[in-house]
Amino acid sequence: MSKFKKEDRGSGPGINTASLPDIVFMLLFFFMVATTSKENDPTVQVESPEGTRTTDLTPFKQRSEIDFLYLGTPRNPNRAKAFKMGYALSLDNVVQSTSDGLYATNAVGRWKLDKFSQKPSRMNAPLEAVITCFKVDRSAPTGLVFDIRKQLQDIEALTIAYAVRDKGNI
Amino acid sequence: MAKRDIPEINAGSMADIAFLLLIFFLVTTTMDKDQAYIRNIPKKIDIPLDQAKVQERDILSIRANNQNQLMVRGQIFSDPSKISEFVLKFYRTNEKINTIENNFPMYSTTTLALCDQSMSNLDSQIEEAETVGNQKLTEFFLASYEEWNKKKNAIKLYGKSEIRELSVQAHVRIEVQESTAYSIFTQIQNEIEEAIFELRDDECMRLFNENYGILKKRNAQDSDPNDKAKLNLLEILYPARIIEITPKN
Repeated sequence: MSKFKKEDRGSGPGINTASLPDIVFMLLFFFMVATTSKENDPTVQVESPEGTRTTDLTPFKQRSEIDFLYLGTPRNPNRAKAFKMGYALSLDNVVQSTSDGLYATNAVGRWKLDKFSQKPSRMNAPLEAVITCFKVDRSAPTGLVFDIRKQLQDIEALTIAYAVRDKGNI
Repeated sequence: MAKRDIPEINAGSMADIAFLLLIFFLVTTTMDKDQAYIRNIPKKIDIPLDQAKVQERDILSIRANNQNQLMVRGQIFSDPSKISEFVLKFYRTNEKINTIENNFPMYSTTTLALCDQSMSNLDSQIEEAETVGNQKLTEFFLASYEEWNKKKNAIKLYGKSEIRELSVQAHVRIEVQESTAYSIFTQIQNEIEEAIFELRDDECMRLFNENYGILKKRNAQDSDPNDKAKLNLLEILYPARIIEITPKN
């Protein structure tokens, strides 16, 4: 004898998912505001050194007053010996191909001047104040950095930044 | 005609679309910031000038060789994290005692009267250069006039009639060789930055009762003239003069 009515299985009230899009949109907007767009994967592999007491470059990035150059080992290890000391320079994803051409033909200077002439007109920082940010592999020889620095000095692009991964905080 | 109900639009796939967008943004963006040490390259000089010889006590040379071994003022350093202490010593030793014997840079006193005098001197020099029509000279005088003006404002903010200033020639010099690892180079930069931060932070705490890091951060976000003046004073008290020597082949 059953006193209880058997429960009607399978046809419970459905969960209302009308607010699901709202929640997801909220997340979406959060990520759109809180993050910055990733730079193109550079064609060279760079593992940054670490440091503390660094300056945050985000304000300069927002004003597009900064250009990045990458110096690291080529992703294809067989190509490494084609470059001076095994390290290749990548400017806007173009690896500077000849081993000593980079230093002879003033590639960095031309690249920098090119970038400067393409900047939007609202940007009014002079060339010497536009930062050139060095993203250099931790075991790269410093001599190469100074070679690039010399080319920047020749065209009077005088502000540079050495990128590091910050391991401390204030 | 019969009145027809407008059929409801099915919004069930809205969430899917939003998820798609969300995932796209998650993949293409990054949250980590770019952090770096900002430095200036000195201007190229066409005609080498006859410069006064820099005193040995004004130089703090930090050298790293091809084997990544470090040497600070002729002493071998096995632990790179000790460099910042030495840089601190370089700045602090003569702050109070000021003797020539200890081979560290001397401090001098700059008064408000000196600022005013130099500025009025420069005023007449600017006028003179303008009448002759020497563009470069005029620019040079204007720049140094600006510098004195900055100093004057700094002294006013300091709250006294004078300020103690490190010798103008005192500098830290980084000498590396061709194949010194880049991580050693940045570590030296890090140590110098650490020392200068500590000097300025102490002074900032004493003068304005606030953290130097916070002051700097606030200045980067919204540039308030008061913050700028504070930073300017701290920079005059503890200037960061770093020279990077190009390695010889």
